[in-house]
Order: sequence, then C-alpha cells, then structure tokens
Amino acid sequence: MSEQAESIIRLRSVTKEFERGGERLRVLENLDLDVGRGAFEALMGPSGSGKSTLLNLMAGLDRPSGGSIEIDRKRIDQMSEGELAAWRANNVGFVFQSYNLLPVLTAVENVELPLLLTPVASSERRKRAETALRVVGLQDRMQHYPRQLSGGQEQRVSIARAIVTDPILIVADEPTGDLDRKSADEILTLLETLNRTMGKTIVMVTHDPAAAERASMTRHLDKGRLKGEEAPNREPAWEAKT
Amino acid sequence: MMIPLRYNIRSLMVRKATTAAATLGIALVVFVLASALMLSEGVKETLSSAGREDIAIVLRKGSDAEMGSTIEDPQIGLIKSMSGVKRESDQPLGTGEVVIVIALEKLGAEGVTNVLVRGVTETSHKLRPDVKIVEGRLPSPGSDEVMIGRAIRGRIKGVELNQSFDLKKNRPVKVVGVFEDNGSSYESEVWADLDNVRASFGRQGAVSSVRVVLDSPASFDAFQAGVESDKRLGLMAKRETKYFEEQSQGTSIFLTFLGGLIAFFFSIGAMIGATITMYASIANRQREIGTLRALGFSRFSILICFLFEAVLLSLIGGLLGLVPAIFMGSIELSMVNFASWSELVFRFRPTPEVLGIAVGSAVVMGILGGFLPAVRAARTSPLAAMRA
Repeated sequence: MSEQAESIIRLRSVTKEFERGGERLRVLENLDLDVGRGAFEALMGPSGSGKSTLLNLMAGLDRPSGGSIEIDRKRIDQMSEGELAAWRANNVGFVFQSYNLLPVLTAVENVELPLLLTPVASSERRKRAETALRVVGLQDRMQHYPRQLSGGQEQRVSIARAIVTDPILIVADEPTGDLDRKSADEILTLLETLNRTMGKTIVMVTHDPAAAERASMTRHLDKGRLKGEEAPNREPAWEAKT
Repeated sequence: MMIPLRYNIRSLMVRKATTAAATLGIALVVFVLASALMLSEGVKETLSSAGREDIAIVLRKGSDAEMGSTIEDPQIGLIKSMSGVKRESDQPLGTGEVVIVIALEKLGAEGVTNVLVRGVTETSHKLRPDVKIVEGRLPSPGSDEVMIGRAIRGRIKGVELNQSFDLKKNRPVKVVGVFEDNGSSYESEVWADLDNVRASFGRQGAVSSVRVVLDSPASFDAFQAGVESDKRLGLMAKRETKYFEEQSQGTSIFLTFLGGLIAFFFSIGAMIGATITMYASIANRQREIGTLRALGFSRFSILICFLFEAVLLSLIGGLLGLVPAIFMGSIELSMVNFASWSELVFRFRPTPEVLGIAVGSAVVMGILGGFLPAVRAARTSPLAAMRA
C-alpha cells in the first residue's frame, strides 16, 4: 500500500547519525517510507528505536545524514535552517507530549501564534484562532491561561494551534503520554475526527497500544529499521473517501 | 513576523523577583549617572546665568580668571574709552572690580572654606540689574559695610545679616544686606566696597578685572580688537557669557567625568546582573523557545524577541532610577569651584538632555547585557521543543 498513488511523505534511504561522546551512533538505517495523503499512522517501538528521530525528520525539525525526504512533493532534506523554519510554519502542525503552550499567553493567543508567520491579517487571525478552538470544543476557555486548564484541555489547545494554519501534515509526539485514560481517549477521538472529517494527514509517535489502535495503521520501528509491513488497522481516510 | 511583545512583557511580569533585582541594579546606575549629569548642568547654569551677552570683561593676558588678573588703575580709563563701549550721560559705562578669596570658618562643621569677596563700585550694580536685595539694605559706598549672596548665607561664621566677620585680621566688615541674582554664582559671593577691599589687602592702584557695557552684543568684536591690538597693555577681552562658561568648564567636566566613571563601574555590575537574569530566564524557557522555533519562528525573530526583553527590563530600571534623580532637583549643595577655588552653591538640574542620556544609557545597557543571552536563545534548536 506504500506504493499507492498519492504519497504525501516519501523517505528514501534515509539515515541519521548522531555523534555522542566521540562515537558515531546510527539511529536510522537506510530507511524507506511512504505515507499516503489523509493517513493516520502510529509509529511504535522501544525507547531508542529511532521513532522520535524519524518524526523529527518528517516534521522538518532535523535533517537526515543521508537519503532524501519529500513532503508533498518538496525535498526538505536539502533546505537550509531558515527555509525549513518557513516551511514548517506553512506545512506542519505540532502536537507535543507536554503540550508546549506558552504559559504567559492565553489559549486564544497561543493558537494565534503560528498565524503570525502567515500573511493572515490580525483581525482574521483572531477569528481563525477562535474557530480552531471551537473545533476542539474549547469555545468557553479562550481567555484562560494554560495553568487554568486541565491537561486534556491544554492538549486540545495545542491541537487547535496545530490545525489553525491548515497544515498538510500534523505530527504528534506521544500526544497522550501525560494524560489519564479518559482525557487520552478524548484527544485520540479528536485526532481521529480531524483525520476523518477534515482529511488531515497525521503521524503519531506513541508507546501506548490503545492509542496506536485508533490510528489507521501502525508501523513498528526497531534499532533504526522498520519491521516489515504492517496490516492497516482500518481503512485510511483517503481511501474511504474515494 | 515577530513574536508579540506581550509575550516578553508578561514573561518579565511572571518572574517578579528576578526582574525586580535586575531592574534595581540598572535603576541605581541610571540614578548615579543622571545625578552626576544634573550636577554638572547645575554648575554650568549657576555660572553661566551670571553672564550677559552685552558685557565684556577685560583681564590681564594669560590669566584664566579674575582672581589671577591685575590691571593698573590708569588702564581702566583707557579700556573704558575704547570704541563699542556704551555711554550714559556722556560717561562710559564700566567699572573695575577686585576679586579676593578669603578663608572663613564654616558654621556647623569643622574647618574653613574659601569665600570669594568682590570689591565693587556703584557702577557694578548698574552692570547687574538682576542683583536685588532680599533682606536688609545696600551697603553705603566707601564704608566697611558688605552684602552677601543668598546662597552662602548662614553657612559660614559671621556671614549672616547684622553680623560681622574679618575680611582680614583686624579688618572687620558688617553685613547689612542679603542679595539674590536668579541663582547665579554671584549668590555665592560677598560684595564689599572696592576701596575698602583694596586697602585691606594692600592692593591700592590696581583691580582684578574691568567690565564694560557694550553698545550692543555685536559691538564686542570691535571692542576686543581695540583692547587686544595695543600690545603694551597686555590685556584680553572676553564676552562675559563666554567667560563664565569657561569658568564652569573645569568643575562641570570634573563632575561629568567622576559621575560617568562611577556610573560606568556600576553599569558593568548592572549589566552582568541583567545578563545573568536573561541567561537564567532563557535556560528556564528552553522548551518554550524550542516550541517557537518548531512553529517556524526564525532565529532572527528569537534574537530580536529576547533582545527586546532585555531592553524592556533595563528601560523599566532606567525609568525607576530617574524618579529619585528628579527629586534630587530640589536639593541645593555647595562645592568648591575649581576656577576660583571658592565655595559655589548650586542645584541638581534635570534637563531633557540629561534625562535622555540617562534613559538612553539604560537602553544601551539592555542591549549590551542582553545580547549574549539573546544569541544563545536564537541558537536554541527546534528539537528542544521535543525534550521533556
């Protein structure tokens, strides 16, 4: 299925090495990967398997040591730091394990933040941020500061921030890692909805089998390599739609 | 696009204690610097407000001040007859004066202080119409009566209305009046009769300086040419305003330099304080900064963001330091004027320039102190957002 017509993420022979204590450490080994448009994929694997590194590469937070990365038909492995930053602003939405909201900004201000990097006018920015917060069900928490919100609510603000620029890709790094079961379920349902109804491509790193269960597909990473092809958990959104 | 300023403002507000410590350091520097500059301005104002554009002062060539200058009596008439001198009822308007510094005992403090005594004539008052008696009366000419400036009143033994002090040993004078002159340096002087002073100090036949009123300020050049062209006289002429300006230079440069030096050393401390504050704050915000980078903010916008935060921090400190500095404006103090080595009383003077320089220096401290931390912030990897 990775050879299907529309791959939004295309990795070819990607390697990633780190230098640690004078020793070269190969975290990703000659990795090929295709993610279809509209997919909701989970990346699993033991600690140190390279799943976070892989996510960082797909999100343009880091550059590979070798190989090519194409996102939506653009080579991002050859971009400069500055180009990558601008590219991220326009194409990627981030959901972090610890939400990473700026504590001194209100919910709506946090959501507005990525729009500052787009040409959207200021009055329009506020409207879009409010819409995004409505989508995640936080219309009555807009003026709250992160410390006044529960973990689940904070993560929902963070999801609103991730979708406000209408990115082509959402990356989630252990989005339920800091949450209790009930909040975690709510967040996963929200991600599922974004994938199904808005057709957002989502790649999620997780430890939690219950979380992976909600994705349309799970890939396992071990020692820098993908372990065979995994059967889809369910039909991916982009196939279901056509 | 830049990170909104409210992010920095609120970030400073949530870190109340460290923000307060850093701002206080900068406030101290700005206070010291502003005070020194205000003093220097005060000296300048006190000395230069005594001068008039249309008065020329003639001194012995090579002397910096009236004190070190001697002009023989016959030359006085010559000087007054030069072209450009104003005449009143056919008499040239000008007078010779003698200036002497005497040591008198301070009141309420140990030691002696130098007091400038000016031997004046009736014409002296015409040259300085702003000099007004505020208490008592004018001394009668040719007597041993004197009047004292408002500023030195009550600071020195005997220098008080209806008291007396020794001009020289066994040469007592009586204080019959107190005068003021819009805060000028004359207010730090004792004015006695010219002949009495000359007799007391054995300086008959000579004066220290000659002042003349000019037809107009524009007549100065002609007058100066007349005085200085005759080499036999060995004299020089200066505009009175210029003369007082030069008199104030030594003292005000000294004050500016001293204040600047103290402020400089203080500012190093304050800048280190601001730098540490910013470093600590940035270290605590690694994930926040990483998140901003991940969202797509450029290194440059992060640099500007934290530089702005440092400037904001020091600007708050600067304004905080100005408040007590402005209150210093109401304090009057005395120190020795280096040009005459006599006591001069003046005020701190907050001018817009001084306030501007003080606030400007706070901004500079913010930029210098905040630069390295801001660079570190800008170099934060977007991967810092991912680290728990």
